[in-house]
This record gives sequence, structure tokens and C-alpha cells, in this order.
Amino acid sequence: MNLKPSTLAMILAGGRVNELNVLTHYRPKSAVPFGGVYRVIDFALSNLMRSGLERIAILSQFRSFSLINHIGIGAAWDMLGKNRGVSILPPSGGYGNTSWYKGSADAIYQNIDFIEYHNPKEVLILSGDHVYNMDYREMIAYHREKDADLTIACVQVPMEKAHRFGLADIDNEDGEQGGRVQLYKEKPDRPQCNWASLTVYCFKPKILIDILKVNASENSSFEFGRDIIPRLMYEQKKVYGYKFRGYWGYTRTMEEYWQTNMDLLGPEPKIDLEKWGVRTNMEHRDVCECQPLKIGPSASIQDSLVYNGCIVEGRVERSILFPGVHVKKGAVVKDSVLFFNNKVGHGSRLEKVVSDVNVSIGKACMIGDPGPVEIKEVTVLGWNNFIPDNTQIGSDCTVYPALPPEKFSRKIKTGEMVR
Amino acid sequence: MTKNESTLVLILAGGVGSRLNNLVQTRAKPAVPFGGIYRIIDFSLSNVMNAGLTQVGVLTQYKPLSLMRHLGTGEAWDFTGRTRGVKILPPRTGSKDSDWYKGTADAVRQNIDFIKAHPSQELILLSGDHIYNMDFDDMLASHRDKNADVTIGMMVVPKSEIHQFGSGITDENGRIIEWEEKPKVARTNLASMGIYVFNTQYLLDMLDHDKEETDFGMHILPRAIENHNVFAYPFHGYWRDVGTVQAYWQANMDVLSDDAGISPEEWGIRPNVEENVGGRIADKADRPPARFTAGCNVKSSMVSAGCVIEGEVTNSVLSPGVHVKPGAVVRDSILFHDCVIEEGAKLDLTILDKRTRVGKDTIVGFGEDKEPANVQYPSHLYTGITLVGKEVEIPEKARIGRNCIVKPWAKAADFPSLEVKSGESV
Repeated sequence: MNLKPSTLAMILAGGRVNELNVLTHYRPKSAVPFGGVYRVIDFALSNLMRSGLERIAILSQFRSFSLINHIGIGAAWDMLGKNRGVSILPPSGGYGNTSWYKGSADAIYQNIDFIEYHNPKEVLILSGDHVYNMDYREMIAYHREKDADLTIACVQVPMEKAHRFGLADIDNEDGEQGGRVQLYKEKPDRPQCNWASLTVYCFKPKILIDILKVNASENSSFEFGRDIIPRLMYEQKKVYGYKFRGYWGYTRTMEEYWQTNMDLLGPEPKIDLEKWGVRTNMEHRDVCECQPLKIGPSASIQDSLVYNGCIVEGRVERSILFPGVHVKKGAVVKDSVLFFNNKVGHGSRLEKVVSDVNVSIGKACMIGDPGPVEIKEVTVLGWNNFIPDNTQIGSDCTVYPALPPEKFSRKIKTGEMVR
Repeated sequence: MTKNESTLVLILAGGVGSRLNNLVQTRAKPAVPFGGIYRIIDFSLSNVMNAGLTQVGVLTQYKPLSLMRHLGTGEAWDFTGRTRGVKILPPRTGSKDSDWYKGTADAVRQNIDFIKAHPSQELILLSGDHIYNMDFDDMLASHRDKNADVTIGMMVVPKSEIHQFGSGITDENGRIIEWEEKPKVARTNLASMGIYVFNTQYLLDMLDHDKEETDFGMHILPRAIENHNVFAYPFHGYWRDVGTVQAYWQANMDVLSDDAGISPEEWGIRPNVEENVGGRIADKADRPPARFTAGCNVKSSMVSAGCVIEGEVTNSVLSPGVHVKPGAVVRDSILFHDCVIEEGAKLDLTILDKRTRVGKDTIVGFGEDKEPANVQYPSHLYTGITLVGKEVEIPEKARIGRNCIVKPWAKAADFPSLEVKSGESV
């Protein structure tokens, strides 16, 4: 039996994504905390693990420390062994023209030697930025069945949002399962269809390597969506669309990031973490050393997720608390996501806030406007802030990391940015 | 903390702890779950780790499987690496002796080869079935400072409790000059915690002296105190033996309180979170954060990852994966991993072992009085606590009283009627 894996998976995890702003000042988007204990990339890694794809490369370049720390040796996803492993591939200097990764395609191009070394039957390229549950084996089986050069996983999105995605017009060759891609447009102004690319690509290695080499010599943006797929379409290669019908959480803007977190809540959460089999690295931030959540005598927790290591003495509603969060007596946390080790002081009130790690909020602070959650935007607090007693911050505000206390001496109005 | 490679640690983890009844039917006392995510031995192991000690032997005997699975490679306590290690030491047949460990000293004697294979200056001998936080590094410093042959960890207790312990009478330098095993009349407030530092060579010589000496407290220590330098190392703080159901329940409740003096996380106690049902961890999800639905009511409790709380939980300790369904009420109880409390069920003063299911509208801990004591084991259950074993299925609409025992794996058919009166067993 040949135990050598036939599919090589490469995760694009280098992006910063400006819209997530202060959350990505110090980490790539794939390492942004999500869902009370996870990082966004855990979803892609857990999908791979459950799909039996355990030879992985992660392409990373922006502030990689948090990501590298999180991946560790890959043991959390059982990617450690003779035929299993995670390799982190940063941009590297070498003989000839090397540079930072100029785009997703360039990142793979600069690691063609890695692909050739492993000599797989397929290269599965995916983004580390999405929240979804998918068995890639079904897609790979479809790719093989069609003898496709490229298979793109697509999901149906609402027509009014379609212009924000790469869109594939998939014919009815295999009905519900997928079909040949007739037309591919990256973020078109006037969408004609609504099958959006999940940025999960299954390539024949030779086709991939050839086109990357052509692309590298051009003056382009070096992106799969903008350059590589349109060129394959133009060359009339066999490009297929695989229709994915599950939940897909994208986190490109703060509002989307917040909403995807909220999809973990409610009577029937759209994201079922246990059923999806999501794993994370418990060594990262010493999550495994936390004691169980401690709930005080006057606490109230409603429709929320709370991890070990938290202490809740106040009120928590429709919120997600990461390990080490302490909500003190009389404090109220609503519609919020609080990362590791946040402290919320006596009598403070948080409404629709996303707060990065190590933020301490003093007593009697008001952060986020009161009123219905639908009509206000998220306020984001950057990490390592000490917010003094009685501070007032409106909704839709952005607070930069580690600011000196005098920045909070005045009322911060709705929509302001504090830096 | 710098690494301490010159001291070897032996943890005695063979105790049956029979007064814990059902809880030790499938596991040794050190492997009994505690405080939601821990097992009792985690306290000793973490204290050892936090003192920078790197070579550990764990002496097992009674039902060691659960314990061995829990220890794994020792990675959870940082005992893996070139100069680190934790070894399980079961009893074995030698050339002449072929018997179970006859006592604490005999257990150590049977592992002299292990001790010699790990050259050390001192040897720390401790028990794996106590809940406490102790700085062994400081104890070692005291041992060296006093030039002692043996140092004994001694807790300062009220004189009224001294009759339960081995007790030592000390001179002004802290040297123990007299030893009394469970004295009727208290002459000191220093009680032995079963924690010893020996000079390794001294210990080997003592063990070599007389093979009939099988117990430290009864045989070896009295002889050492008479002839050599034995010092007391006084300990102030939280220490519990949790050898009875009542003491076990109380210590769990102490974790809920802010002023009982026990705080596993602050003490740096590490569980082994990788350990999982059936030993299969690779393809299972990690426990997600605890989920609280709208309308639930949780107060004064510890809740572990993976729990889903839809009902009411007060003053209770929940291990990972417990599901409390709508309308269910859990009070003053300890629920182990993956228990399910169906709609409308009520639990009061109950300990449920792993993966037990309580049927709809059933009441466990029924009745105003905390009496009578359990008929079969009156000395185990007499304070009102009802004990339900592993993987029990309690049928719907049952009434189970106080001080009851439900044996592990009991199914609906094993219940003679839907009413189990206080003090009865299933």
C-alpha cells in the first residue's frame, strides 16, 4: 500500500486584509481569534484533517509570529508523522529574483520547487480565512472524475452581494454536483450569476506550474481570481465548478467578522463546532491550563459561548468570551466578542464591541451606543489597552492598540477613530 | 524555576480509596476526576512540575489503566524531553518476591533498581491522592539547609484533628524527636502529610536494613527519628485527603468559593486536556466553548468547555460535555464528563460519574431529610449525597432519594421500581 499522500494542500495565509483593521495590526487574518477559543485558520486545518489530507504547506508573510506559534508542530491536527506534516513557507531570498509574495499566485509560484519535490497528483489550494465545514475528498473525487485541469469550489450567495466575489457561471453538466465553468469574472460590477468562489482550488500540478510560470513573466497582479483563472478560461482548459451547499462564513469586514461569530449563537447555531470536528492548538496561549469557567452568585449568562478560564460575575448576553475574560459584578456585556484576557470592570457596559487581547476596561465605562443591535456598527478595541474608569466610547469606533490613558479623557463619539 | 536534576520523585498512586465507593470502581483514587477538568493526581504532578523537578516515577497497583491513560507521555506536565521523564512503576515479580506492594516502604523497596538507575542526591516521596499546593523547591532548600537525613512535610492542624494523622513532636530547631501514629492525646499540632524528602543514599541504606519493614509511618520513620536527623517542614494552607465521599464533595464545593483557599489555576495545576473518551483523540473535535442558551440560569458554579446549559445550575461543578436540558435543575451537585440531564429532571446533592443520563422529570436526591444513611455502606454515605456510577441510564419519572448508590452501567431494567428510597442501592 502506498501511504504517500497523493494530494498536496497549500493554504494561503499571508493576507492582512485592511478591513479588519486593528485586529490585523499584529497578526495575519488567518490567525485572528474566532468563536471563543479558535483561530480562523483552524477551520481550514480541521477540514483538511478530517479529509485525510495531512501533507500541508502554509504560505505566510505578514507578521507571521502569531500564526507560526499557533500551528506549532501541527500535532493539534494530527499532522505529524512520516507522511504527515505542516510546512510553513515564508518568502525567502535565493538565487535569482526573489521578493515578498506579490499576490496569491506569486506565493505559489515562489514555491514551485516545494510542489515538485512532493510530486502530488493534485494540488489543493485554499484560503485560511474562511469559516466552513467541507470534506475536500468529495471535491477531489469530482475533479478526478471530470479529469479537470482546475476545479473551483463555489457556493451560492445572495445576488445583491455577488459583486464582492469571484463568480463562476457553472453549466448543468452534473446538476447538483457541479459542471463546467462557462464564464468566470472576478468581482464584476454587474453580476450575471451568483456562484461565488470559496477560494478552494484543485489543480493538476503541471497545468498549475505552467500557468504560474507564464503569469510570473507578465505585468499583472499575480492573483488567482484576477489572473490565473481568467487565463485558464481563455486557454479553454477544463475548468469545473464544484457546488458546495453548506454554511460559508467570510470575515472580510468587521461587520462580517462580527456576524460570523454571532452565527455560533441562537437556538440553532449555523456553525456546529462539535459536529464540524473543529480542533485548535490548546498549547497556544496556554489554553489547556485554564480552569473551568467560574460563575458568580449574581451572574447571568444568556445565549452566549464562554470558554474555560473565564470568570463571570456580571451579565453576559449574546456574546462570545475567550479564555481569561473577567466580567465583574454589575458589568453588562451584550452582542460582543471579547478576546483572551479582557477585563470588564464593575458597572461597565459593552454593546456590540469586538475587543482584542489584553484589554482592561475600568469601572462604569460605556462602550458602544445603547439601542437595538441592528442599527449600530461594531466598535473595535485594539489590543493591550487600559481604558480608564468612566470612559465613554460610541458605536462604529476604532481604538488603536496600546494607547496612553489620556486618549480616553474625552468622550469618543460614534464613528470616531482613536489612534 | 530552574531545572532540578539532582532530585528524584516517587509518587505513590496505588491507593484504592475504597471509601469513595463507586468512584473508584473502575479507577484508582488518584485518577478520580476533580474540579471539573482535573484528576486528583494532577495536583501532585503539577506541584512537582512547578518545582522544576524532571524525573518522576509513579507507583501504581490498583486499577491503573485510567491513570496510565491520563499520564500518557507526561507531556501535559512538561515531563518529556532529553532529561525529563515520567515512568509508570507497577508491581512485578522478581527473582524471589512475587507479590503486590505490601506497604509504602515495600513499594519503594521493590523499585530500588529504578532509584539506582536515576542517580540522585535526594528523593522526594509523596502521595498522589491529595488536593494541595506545595513548593517542593522550598522544602528541598530547607532539607539541605538543616543537613537533614529525612524531612517530613507536616501540616499545621487544629489539635482536635491530630488523632487522624501521624504526628511529630519537634525541638526548637524543627527536628522531630518523637513520633506518634494517630495519637489519642494531642501533644503537637503538626500532622504528617505523607510527603518526605530523603537523602537518596540514606533511604537506600534504611530500606536495606530489614525487609520486614514495609511501611514508612509504622516502621522506618520511628527508627530514623530515634537514630538520625529527621526534620519537620511545616505547611500552612489548603490540603485535603478527599478520602471520603463527603470530603470529596466538600473539596469540590471549596473550588466554587472565593475564600476556601483553593484555586487550581492560580496554583498552576495542569490537567491533561488531550485525554479523551476511548483514547481516540486524533479525529475528534476539541471541546468547544460552553454554550448557554437564552433562558438558562447558572449561578455559583464551575462549568467546563463542551457543556450545553439550557436549564438551571446552582452551586455545582460540571466536567466537560455535560448537557443540562430545558427545565432541568442541578443543585449542589458534581457531574462528570458527558452526563445528560433530560428535560424537567432535578438533581440535588448528587454525584454523577461519566456519561450518565438522567431521564425526563426524574428526581435524584429526593426527600427533605438527609437520612437515613446508606443501608449497604452506612460509613460511606450518610450526609445526604447520592452517588450514581458510570454510564447509568436512569429512567424517566423516577424518584431516587438521599444516600442512594446506583451501580455503574445500571440500565432502566435494573431499577426494581421507579422509586428508590433514601439509603437504598440499585
